[in-house]
Amino acid sequence: MSVRPEEITVVPRGPEPGGKGGAYRAFGETLRGLRTTMSQMFTKPVTIQYPEEKTPVYPRFRGRHRLHRFEDTGLEKCVGCSLCAAACPAQCIRVVAAENDPENRVSAGERYAAVYEINLARCIFCGYCELACPFDAITMGHDYEMADYNRSDLIFTKEMLLAEPIERAPLRREGE
Amino acid sequence: MPRTQPNRVTLTIDGREIEADEGTMLVDAAREGDVEIPVFCYEPKLGEPVGACRMCLVEIEGIPKLQTSCSTPVRDGMVVHTRTDQVKEAQESVVEFLLVNHPLDCPVCDKGGECPLQDISMGWGPDRNRMVDQKRHFEKPVPLSPLVAIDRERCILCYRCVRFSQEVSEDEQLQLLERGDATFVGTFDDRPYIAPFQGNITELCPVGALTSYTYRFRARPWDIEQGGSVCTLCPSQCNVSFTVRDEEVARVLARDNPEVDDGWLCDKGRYAFQAMYADDRVLGPEVTSDGHSTPASWQEAEETAAEGLASAGSRTAILVGDASNEEGYLLQRILRQALGSGDIDSRRGPGVDGDAALKLADPAITAQTSDIDTADLVIVVGTDPIQSAPSFDLRVRKAVRRNGTALAVATDRPGALEGGATEVDRFHPGGAAAFLEELAGKVKRGRAKTGLAGLIADSEQTVIVWGERIVQGAGGRAAVEALVDLSEAAGLADQEGSGLIGIPETANGRGLREVGCLPDAGPGLSPTGPGRDAGAIREGLESGELEAVVLFGVDPIRDLPDPEGWRRALEAAGHVVAFSLARNESTEFADVLLPLESHAEKDGTVTHPDGRIQRVRPSARRPGEVRPVWQVLTELAAMLGSSTGITSTPEALEAVASAVPFYAGLTDSEIGGRGVRWQERPAASDLGSPSPDLTLYATAPGPFSPLGSGAAGSEADDLPGSFEGGGSGVDDAGVVPPEESTSSPPTPTNGQLLLGTYPNLWADQVVESSPALRFLVPAQRLEVSGPDATRLGLSTGDEVSVRSGEESVNARVAVRAAMPEGACFLIEGTPADNGNRVAGEDGGPTLVEIGPPEVRLELVTAGGGPEGDEAA
Ligand code: SF4
Ligand code: SF4
Ligand code: FES
Repeated sequence: MSVRPEEITVVPRGPEPGGKGGAYRAFGETLRGLRTTMSQMFTKPVTIQYPEEKTPVYPRFRGRHRLHRFEDTGLEKCVGCSLCAAACPAQCIRVVAAENDPENRVSAGERYAAVYEINLARCIFCGYCELACPFDAITMGHDYEMADYNRSDLIFTKEMLLAEPIERAPLRREGE
Repeated sequence: MPRTQPNRVTLTIDGREIEADEGTMLVDAAREGDVEIPVFCYEPKLGEPVGACRMCLVEIEGIPKLQTSCSTPVRDGMVVHTRTDQVKEAQESVVEFLLVNHPLDCPVCDKGGECPLQDISMGWGPDRNRMVDQKRHFEKPVPLSPLVAIDRERCILCYRCVRFSQEVSEDEQLQLLERGDATFVGTFDDRPYIAPFQGNITELCPVGALTSYTYRFRARPWDIEQGGSVCTLCPSQCNVSFTVRDEEVARVLARDNPEVDDGWLCDKGRYAFQAMYADDRVLGPEVTSDGHSTPASWQEAEETAAEGLASAGSRTAILVGDASNEEGYLLQRILRQALGSGDIDSRRGPGVDGDAALKLADPAITAQTSDIDTADLVIVVGTDPIQSAPSFDLRVRKAVRRNGTALAVATDRPGALEGGATEVDRFHPGGAAAFLEELAGKVKRGRAKTGLAGLIADSEQTVIVWGERIVQGAGGRAAVEALVDLSEAAGLADQEGSGLIGIPETANGRGLREVGCLPDAGPGLSPTGPGRDAGAIREGLESGELEAVVLFGVDPIRDLPDPEGWRRALEAAGHVVAFSLARNESTEFADVLLPLESHAEKDGTVTHPDGRIQRVRPSARRPGEVRPVWQVLTELAAMLGSSTGITSTPEALEAVASAVPFYAGLTDSEIGGRGVRWQERPAASDLGSPSPDLTLYATAPGPFSPLGSGAAGSEADDLPGSFEGGGSGVDDAGVVPPEESTSSPPTPTNGQLLLGTYPNLWADQVVESSPALRFLVPAQRLEVSGPDATRLGLSTGDEVSVRSGEESVNARVAVRAAMPEGACFLIEGTPADNGNRVAGEDGGPTLVEIGPPEVRLELVTAGGGPEGDEAA
């Protein structure tokens, strides 16, 4: 079988050891590497002093969920419809609804969420719940620091999700 | 009207060739051929289609306009199109039109996710709504009744609910009010809709307009699971499907079974699930020591129970109330095999005994529930189905309304079905035997042209629905004979679709006696040595002849006649083992209290009044320490030295099937989700052959003899022969009539009335324990006839006392027309002023004196003890 010229790949070989080539290999490449080191020594470091300093996140970053209230009435936006639970692929949302007492409303609709829990140990932060919610009651926040000592502490209740979160994750500024 | 085989026709729908029965509606034929046509108002359970919503329009070749497929019967050679542009446009317009006023509040609406309107809008509707104007507004949600809320904005005016109320339950309370777009569903004068079947409308409503208060906002369709079972709260044994959320029952839906319930449920079956989670539920075993009941481990409780029973030995008795066939079987086996006693009863009074049960079980004279639909004549004797087995009430109404069945009602107390009856006969409490004897005589002579006997002579297919309470009391035995005579005279055995259906006193009354919970019959109704019946057990305990008693799912102080006697009996008993779902007066006396499973937790079988064996299947978690009861019973049996070898529920059923000859070979898979009538299985021909279990009991330590003694023994020998070959020939020659074969009840003298008691659907502990139903708990009322009321100076609403001997109860008078003169009625088992206190000791009628109101006041202050307690 004859070999066609375009099928031939030429493999260049390094210089033989010893001699000039050997010396270059011993020092030349090291110096080249050192040049990179030297040049970086005088630039600003990219490392962040976490946890004193935090990486800013993009506005649409999907962090820990938040439940919202109407600003004017203070009523919860969530009506306990469970659509978020239905949409959740990780099955980490549990909603138990109850009927509003007209004298003492919790939410604006007929029903409200008596129990609203998200198991953040299971959540995959896909944001489907946010998409499913017909009332924009649940959104994905910016908080990504959720480590804890205990798994059961990762089940966030309605009160925890409604509470104004301590804004720990800075938002990335325009053009940053 | 015997069932006829309809002709088959062939038609084409969307190019598919489809075969269907002549007379089926197009939409059903299409479904059979896998073509779906959307419908809203069509619901065959409600009767004739009405064509109200126009959702089901289709094009039929040869007819210029679109036709409603729900009300167009199929014809041979029809060519139908369901997907043409014209049809599509019509469907989109109908959906758009429905959505004009429908609020799109699906996220807060309970129907969301299981809503036909949602599904049809998605599947056949336009994707845009052009409506920009205000939708119509109503106040919402408002209570339609204490159980059902109505949201009129969501209503699409299909009037399914109205049709149910008008044509199925015939309470005629729901109406469409106003006209045009202001139309709404309501009741006259906005009165609450109070009717025993109202829960069904929440299931019928195709949108979220009608919702049950018990399920409002409890769960969404993706939060729940459905588990099929059977409701064991009354003998109708309707098929249900439990909605389970977080392993607890949240709702009960009907599971259509045309052979059992026709797809309806009564409100007790639908809402009394709340009792499963009530505070009075027994959640774990308890042992009483030094007068204090304390929670105990199962081991400890079972050991204490077994010790007590073992030391009482053959001086033990068992009372069974609500139990599955397996539980009933194991109970009688423990008693007969391990303890050597035969004192077991599952009846309220001396009703149908083993011998009578065997006669009545003859497949030839037993009708099946759906035979009522096609019968020419339905006779309801001595029962008011709405109180004792509600779904039979709907079944009879359906036959009368839709198939023109003639209905005859013969009862002591005027009942709910009488409005539609062709013939109403009335007898005195306890007078059923005399009535039936006379009727049987007339039918036999065959000369009657009028009256009930005439009706019987005129009809081919006759179904007799009779309440087993007519055989209680002195004339009981004679009533059974008369009933068998009547069925013979009317030729029920020879006519396809004719027969008797007996409504037992308890939900599984028929199953329990077939597995051996009768004092004189073991499994398979095989005669055994006579044991004590309920009344005799009470006397035996009181006199000390009996030492221990096991109460299984029964509260004798409430459910049985002579509650005071039972109180004394339980006090005197040395050892009381109570299996109970909930705490009640009788469990107070328990030395060992063991929890029972509810019908959403139990795994077992029950037998319908028409012989259909059905499965009760677990779908919810057993709360607390509750354990499978069959397991507890097998452990008890083993501790008492008679190991059953049963280690699983299928094995328990196998044991029952091998002990009861006519259940032979029965398995779970054969029963399936629809149940199977034992009369239709080959093993039915073994009715009357002795149970193989009798040999087990032969080795029993006590005086109990499995083959009976004296007359009972000789009868037992005769039995296998006399019932051979399917048992069509009922032979009553050998029956010795009991001493009091004359069934005339005591005659009232001056100022006295003859008292009959009746069960009320709502006078039940599960109703009191279900918050939603509590408003229905009845207060005691005394029903009297007009002439008696005038004579005694009573009028409706008066408070009186009803006295019989030492006992008396308070009641409010209700003067009713159509009452037999000289008789009066009280409710059994009410929480206060229980009618059982003044009822006859054997459950039969008794003479009472009505005290004038001032006497009653004196009684309340002077009558100490239990009287005072209950009045308080
Ligand atoms: S957060 Fe939104 S989607 Fe989830 S239950 Fe509440 S209203 Fe429904
Ligand atoms: S309430 Fe429901 S069932 Fe009744 S008419 Fe309206 S939509 Fe139909
Ligand atoms: S389903 Fe045919 S008109 Fe309503």
